[in-house]
Amino acid sequence: MKKRVTLTFPQRTIQMPVTYRLAKDFNVASNIIRAQVAPNQVGKLVVELQGDIDEIDAAVEWMRSQHIQVSLASREIVIDEETCVDCGLCTGVCPTTALTLEPETFKLQFERSRCVVCEQCISTCPVQAIATTF
Amino acid sequence: MRTIAEINDKIRQRRAVVWTVEETKAQAAEIGVKAAAKQVDVIVTGTFEPMESTGAMINLGHTDPPMKIRSCWIDDVPAYAGLGAVDLYLGATMTPEPSIEGGEVIETRESAPLRGGGHVIEDLIAGKAVHLRARGQVTDCYPRATLDTTINQDTINQFYLFNPRNLYQNFIVGVNGGDRVLYTYLGPLHPRLSNAVYSNTGAISPLFNDPDLDLLGIGSRIFLGGGVGYISWEGTQHFPLQKRLPNRTPIGPAATLALIGDAKQMQSRWVRGCYFKNYGPSIMLGVGIPFPVLHEEVINRALVKDEEIVAPVVDFSIPRRVRPTFGLVSYAQLKSGKIKLEGKTIRTAPLASIPLSRQVAAELKSWILNGQFTLSESVAPIPRDRAFLPQDSWGGAGLT
Repeated sequence: MKKRVTLTFPQRTIQMPVTYRLAKDFNVASNIIRAQVAPNQVGKLVVELQGDIDEIDAAVEWMRSQHIQVSLASREIVIDEETCVDCGLCTGVCPTTALTLEPETFKLQFERSRCVVCEQCISTCPVQAIATTF
Repeated sequence: MRTIAEINDKIRQRRAVVWTVEETKAQAAEIGVKAAAKQVDVIVTGTFEPMESTGAMINLGHTDPPMKIRSCWIDDVPAYAGLGAVDLYLGATMTPEPSIEGGEVIETRESAPLRGGGHVIEDLIAGKAVHLRARGQVTDCYPRATLDTTINQDTINQFYLFNPRNLYQNFIVGVNGGDRVLYTYLGPLHPRLSNAVYSNTGAISPLFNDPDLDLLGIGSRIFLGGGVGYISWEGTQHFPLQKRLPNRTPIGPAATLALIGDAKQMQSRWVRGCYFKNYGPSIMLGVGIPFPVLHEEVINRALVKDEEIVAPVVDFSIPRRVRPTFGLVSYAQLKSGKIKLEGKTIRTAPLASIPLSRQVAAELKSWILNGQFTLSESVAPIPRDRAFLPQDSWGGAGLT
């Protein structure tokens, strides 16, 4: 199964090779969606964990024991369909083609699973129809 | 074949046959031009896109004691007041000037979305109240010096859009061959040719379907912002002499139209304030144009396809009046989602809304079918011989 989580690293765990440990000890593949890590600062990582359901749970348990905060809710892009005018400008700046126009109707389509929450679309939208959750 | 008067009789009797331009293209392909021209009375076109040379005329009504307004801010956006005492003109791209008189300064980050003139116009059309502040020149007839009040569309006399340049016949495609992001009126253009933005809806766009402006002129009745409007003049930068293909469509920006219409009848759904990051506020507008099928040639002109019309790809990384181009691409290529430039595949994104453009045409079609919108004869043609002059100053005083 796949599970998207947001990891917050306190300063002292920032040196730990977490994705390596997840792979080696739990056989969990972690696809990094978004990362903000710098020396001696609180780090943030949004990862998609892929593996056996029990092993993912065990991995989450282990990360928590290492003082890594694991949040199951992650920031997501939301589009206000009432405000959106389907101009399509956001589709040109979306690096993963999560935002596309339907070829016949030219209406905006959003494929959430492709989105890496880079947020480029938010400031590009001329009518401010795109935002992130929390 | 038929006259506008005959078409209007049929509209009033609700017998008129009206097709959207897309229906016309499909029908004519099936039954042929002759049969199509026999059947259809009116072809309707629509577009919904940013049209920044847009603004609202407002007559405020006189205060007691009366006032000659010389400076005015509506929701902090300056409106032009150099007309009659309480006549104001609010432009769509005007940026707000926060009030400092009240002691409160509103900080605006450079990248924060700005609420500009377009947003204020949208709010007034939506029936919302906006704040108005004004300073006057004190004279014997106009003793009042300042005004601070709230207005909405019901508390002002005239409120009409008077747009010096709407409805561009074709436009450009923006790309960025430089090495940093450029924030333009086409939205962000990413470096090293990462994206291309086009802003015309192609074969469904009104003026591609009447390339020589034979079917419209000054006085033509149109759909403007969800209400009834009129073509009032040639638009600013009107350039009918642009190079054209054998099918008469221009290869770049060409004709433009000035439009006018009562904003009190409009709907905020079709008049939307918008903001382009680090460029500024603007407005998106729905405009619909009906074409009377006076003869077969009207159908022939409306058959134009995305494959048969082109726009120039312009590199915005050279900030000069004449920017280098990468040649012409067809609207079929642009709408496919990618174009190829210098061997590189580039994603394209539109800026005009094709779904809302289609809805404008559908709305205008329903007005005509209901008998509530008739066509008007134009009173004068749009000029066909305007040059496109650059502004070059020679030998300015003191500049030697």
